[in-house]
Amino acid sequence: MHASFQALTDALVPSVQEANGFPYTDMGVHDYIIYALDHYVSVQQQLHHFTIPLSYPTAIMLDAAATQLVMTHQAQAYSQSLFPGGRMFSCLSREDRIRTLSALENLEVDLYLLPSPFQNNAGMVKHVTDALNRFSMFGYYSEWSAYGSTRLCPPEDRCLEWFPLSWQQVGYPGVSLGYRDFRGFLITMAEVKT
Amino acid sequence: MKIDADVIVIGAGAGGPVVAKELGESGINVLVLEAGPWYGNKKWPEPNKNRGVAKESSDPGDLDGSLYRQQITRLENDMDDLVSGKFRWGAADRRRAPWYRNVPDRSLLWQSSGIGGGTLHYYANSLRAFPEAIDNEWPINYDDLVPYYEKVEATLPVEFAPTTTKEALFYYGAEKAGFSLNKTLDVTTSGYRPQPNAILPPNEHLMDPNYSMEEISHMEGCTLSGHCGQGCPYGPTLEKMAKRSTTVSYVPLAMKTGNVSFRPNTFVTKVLTEFNASGNQRATGVRIRDTWTGEMEELRANVVVMAGGVIETPRLWLNSDLPYNPWVGRGLTNHYFDLITGTFDEETLMEVVGSRTTNPFVGHTSGARLDYPGLGMIENIGESPGLSAMQVFGFSQFGYNSLHHDGSDMWDQRGRLVGSELANAMEGYSRTLTLSAITDDEVAFHNRVELDPHIQDEHGAVPRVHYEPTKKSKERREQLNKIATDILQQAGANSVHRADMPANYYIHLQSTMRMGHVVDPSCEAYQVERLYVADNSADNNSLGGPNPTLTTQALAARTAELLAAKYF
Repeated sequence: MHASFQALTDALVPSVQEANGFPYTDMGVHDYIIYALDHYVSVQQQLHHFTIPLSYPTAIMLDAAATQLVMTHQAQAYSQSLFPGGRMFSCLSREDRIRTLSALENLEVDLYLLPSPFQNNAGMVKHVTDALNRFSMFGYYSEWSAYGSTRLCPPEDRCLEWFPLSWQQVGYPGVSLGYRDFRGFLITMAEVKT
Repeated sequence: MKIDADVIVIGAGAGGPVVAKELGESGINVLVLEAGPWYGNKKWPEPNKNRGVAKESSDPGDLDGSLYRQQITRLENDMDDLVSGKFRWGAADRRRAPWYRNVPDRSLLWQSSGIGGGTLHYYANSLRAFPEAIDNEWPINYDDLVPYYEKVEATLPVEFAPTTTKEALFYYGAEKAGFSLNKTLDVTTSGYRPQPNAILPPNEHLMDPNYSMEEISHMEGCTLSGHCGQGCPYGPTLEKMAKRSTTVSYVPLAMKTGNVSFRPNTFVTKVLTEFNASGNQRATGVRIRDTWTGEMEELRANVVVMAGGVIETPRLWLNSDLPYNPWVGRGLTNHYFDLITGTFDEETLMEVVGSRTTNPFVGHTSGARLDYPGLGMIENIGESPGLSAMQVFGFSQFGYNSLHHDGSDMWDQRGRLVGSELANAMEGYSRTLTLSAITDDEVAFHNRVELDPHIQDEHGAVPRVHYEPTKKSKERREQLNKIATDILQQAGANSVHRADMPANYYIHLQSTMRMGHVVDPSCEAYQVERLYVADNSADNNSLGGPNPTLTTQALAARTAELLAAKYF
């Protein structure tokens, strides 16, 4: 399952060279997506309050959709996965992985062949496929990766271990006490009220 | 029957605390129930870790600015992660999943729990409605609202946003695109102006290098630190924090009356009613559930005010088996919008604003606007990198830029960017100006919040949200997109990107319990006596476009006055 999400973030977010000891070049963002999907939906059934883990069925959905694209010659598969342990989705080129996401969100796949809870559930397919993009980008460009060894702990137990690499890349100085960039007021309330 | 308070208010977001403060000042005893945690209250020193020892707080001495500062970390993932952030829609315990709302489409729905509600996260844009959207549309007139607008503007208080680099660039572009400065609070013609924001003006020493930023951040006034959406804990005390979330403005004022208690971690699952001698149904109280323990209680009051927001208020009505009304949950309006981002080169910026960067993260997150009655509005947005990337380059109904050709020469790129394309775009982050083109969304009966027939959570049937903008709303968005693009090009943008946001991006939701349909002009339900609404859901329409918070607060002040006169 991890391989599918590594293949996903590899296609979506910029690659970085070995950073802060992370073994993969997405700064660990695939783990962020798995955490988010597994803590996304909770329901009540009789005595039980369930949180429904969505990462496993989502990985199966990506592989099922990739297989459909390969079978219909819309995508070409490498003979083996580019990520250890991966299935069909991770055997595709980056562009074909994007094509697979696009086919899913446009419902250009046989929805019957998708795993529950996605089977014949267009709203869920569109929602989660889209969320994969949002999660990837928020995971990558927020401070999440800099929680380092605590990044997968419950939120209250995380602490920043270094300055986020992605913030450095884009020139964001991080949380600020303030900036001396006051250029005056164009108008004031007092002026408008008189 | 023994009562627990004269008035119970459900929800401590933008509207609820205003009702509480006004009633408290009239000597009426109020209990405000809030589903989420309380940041900045000594009774809950670790509000996300444990339930604390107290159930409620009414003593202003419990409020603590340094605790607030420690909890509001201003980190975008810690505060605004939709799954586990402190401002998410969910229980105080962040190990748990958020509360589920079924939006079966590409969607992103901003809704916050906690004392302060959506105002914890908001940019503090405090706009009056466009008069033309109220007069002859609502059952009341714009002039009826003005005294209450004035009262709330003075109380928060509201001041026009200061200019920083990104606002200067916006004004330059708007001027060159043929618009002029609109010096008013009551907008009847198109033009640009600073945002009237509920943010204290910068401290007079902000530009004085003899004062360190650390010192200034403990003084009164905005420090132009940006990240308004991640909360603002800058100021000398809790009630003097620069961004005027209700948790630092109306909540302390309500507590000071000596008549108001707030109870966090309390989810209302049912409005209780009975029939009086004349056969009319009236509200008598609420059923609540403690979010930490699951314990349930019934609380009684003479009047109940629903202020849980545009999703939860109709959900609560429907889950309470209150009388059928075809408009409950219907007529949902949204700030249906798009994001247009211009990236500038250093030379142009030097020439226009005398700086090599725009640094979008500096100053009020949204400090400048263009009003356009009949279409809506355009606002600048300077979010942090994670939120920027997610919204601008990660969320689109167009799909992936790399798979499509736009067919239009108006935008250099459109839709989602991935991989190296994304890296290149984000490399220009510090030289961008992002504009949101927000429509005056037309009310349509088909847009709705309803109960999901299959899914329940611990509070009952979950809400299912359906929204498809009307043809008119779509046309308005396209026109605003053209204007926003023109402003960026006139300002000298080197390249322009259009996000082409999906319709189901929900901000500033309104009008699911519309005045004139579900509630009367005093915001009391037509079908249930002593039951009022004091959130965005009572709005009859989307105000012509402007952000709804100030109107909700003005209406809430008015509702409190009318409610007190009728029942106390």
